[in-house]
Amino acid sequence: MQAGPMDEPPSILWGLDPIFSAFARLYIKDILQMTESVQVPGIYFYNNHPIYKVDVLGTVVYKRERDDFFCYGVDDGTGVINCLCWKSELFKDKDDGAGAAPGPSDPTVFDPVAELKKLKQAQQKRCRLEIGELIRVRGPVKTSRQQREITASVFYKVEDPLMAEQIQWMMDVPELYRECYDKTFQLQSDKQGESADSPLIKATNLIKDFIKQKSVSKFRTYDVLDLLEPLISRQPQAASADPEAAGPSGCQQVRQLLKEVLKVLQDEGVVYRRVKTQDEVYHVTERDKDLFIVVKDIIREDSKREKYSEKGCHVLHILSAVRQRHSFNVSKAALEIVLKSLVCNSDIVSSSDKHYTAF
Amino acid sequence: MLPPTAVFYFPWEVKSLGEGKSVRTFGRLSCYEADESRASLSCHHASKEHKVFVHTLFVEPFNPIIGAQYLVLGETESYEGFGVMIRARVLNCVDGVNIALLQKAIEGQRSFFRERERKDGGSQTTRYHR
Repeated sequence: MQAGPMDEPPSILWGLDPIFSAFARLYIKDILQMTESVQVPGIYFYNNHPIYKVDVLGTVVYKRERDDFFCYGVDDGTGVINCLCWKSELFKDKDDGAGAAPGPSDPTVFDPVAELKKLKQAQQKRCRLEIGELIRVRGPVKTSRQQREITASVFYKVEDPLMAEQIQWMMDVPELYRECYDKTFQLQSDKQGESADSPLIKATNLIKDFIKQKSVSKFRTYDVLDLLEPLISRQPQAASADPEAAGPSGCQQVRQLLKEVLKVLQDEGVVYRRVKTQDEVYHVTERDKDLFIVVKDIIREDSKREKYSEKGCHVLHILSAVRQRHSFNVSKAALEIVLKSLVCNSDIVSSSDKHYTAF
Repeated sequence: MLPPTAVFYFPWEVKSLGEGKSVRTFGRLSCYEADESRASLSCHHASKEHKVFVHTLFVEPFNPIIGAQYLVLGETESYEGFGVMIRARVLNCVDGVNIALLQKAIEGQRSFFRERERKDGGSQTTRYHR
């Protein structure tokens, strides 16, 4: 299924596609035909995969040289593309005289000047190509003056007298297409079934999202029970309709999952039970205005006292005061969420790692 | 500005191509006439000897090794008395190449493109000579 320009996956998800970070070994024909992204120009799409850098091996069929760069036309048998190859500083340095070969060197002595000269010559040999020679180019694709070209980050001449490299490349690329490029990558976030997260993590995130989106300040278990149902029905049931099945029923599984989720949320301090009664009511910490007021008052009052005026109130002191005044069930984690929020709002100040004071 | 793509063809397919096609093919150098700038590459296939004529003006001087395998890249032209001749832009000696493996690689690539063309319903513009 070819993706039209409107079907592009959102750019924030592109990093999830491993091909995006790799030098894609596409046929030059495909590189020339890739559609350019409407979201980010400079990124292209092949079969819904975002591509920005490629790797080609081909024959030089065109050459243009300037002081700073080479422009090689590369033909791999499926297409021809221009490759802009900047000359390195080492390459451009001409002060040694191109023709002078280094004299026989004493192997026991390391002569940096001679070695550098050899390096320069090796560099020149690998970067200056003639028409008919084999070149390897890797780099990002660019469209300039309506022409696609590759700006080489790496380029070099490939010595291939027996065509072994070219033959290997011709055999590898179709495999790469079959294994990677022609497989559509699912770039969907948050869809169930594809994710490797455990049901508990997924369930926890579901409840957290629900609390956030609906600005919930408190809830009962039955309010959120049905949110988790889709997660359970997705599990493959071996003998779903068998009344004698030893495993738990769907309903029990949901309840069990919710119990685990609520434990996690309480441990994290996201929710707490102000009063522990039969009626299971969970208060969302961040939305509990009463709790916020109590904590602020405690800190404000106690900061005035001589005992705490210098250093501020220790978090454990605040915790015991909150437990006495507000609810025994406020956990340290919940309190920390409240304190963090108050500090962000500049209602209180953190005077040290565990101390808080009011203005 | 850039020359057209030189697609791989087997030597026995070249004579049935028309004029003006950009191709790359291979064969053993069987003769070279320097004054005419003409070489001929030969290849054995299906118990027949196939010859490909190459106009070597643009790639001269080159060191002709009779009997060695060569790779030629260029455009087809019609020549009186010779049929199709390739005007070479590239002529490389590749003696020692594994011809059977090269043939397999070319066929593998073609079958991949055919497969893809079938899946896309023929939306690809390049067609390969069968």
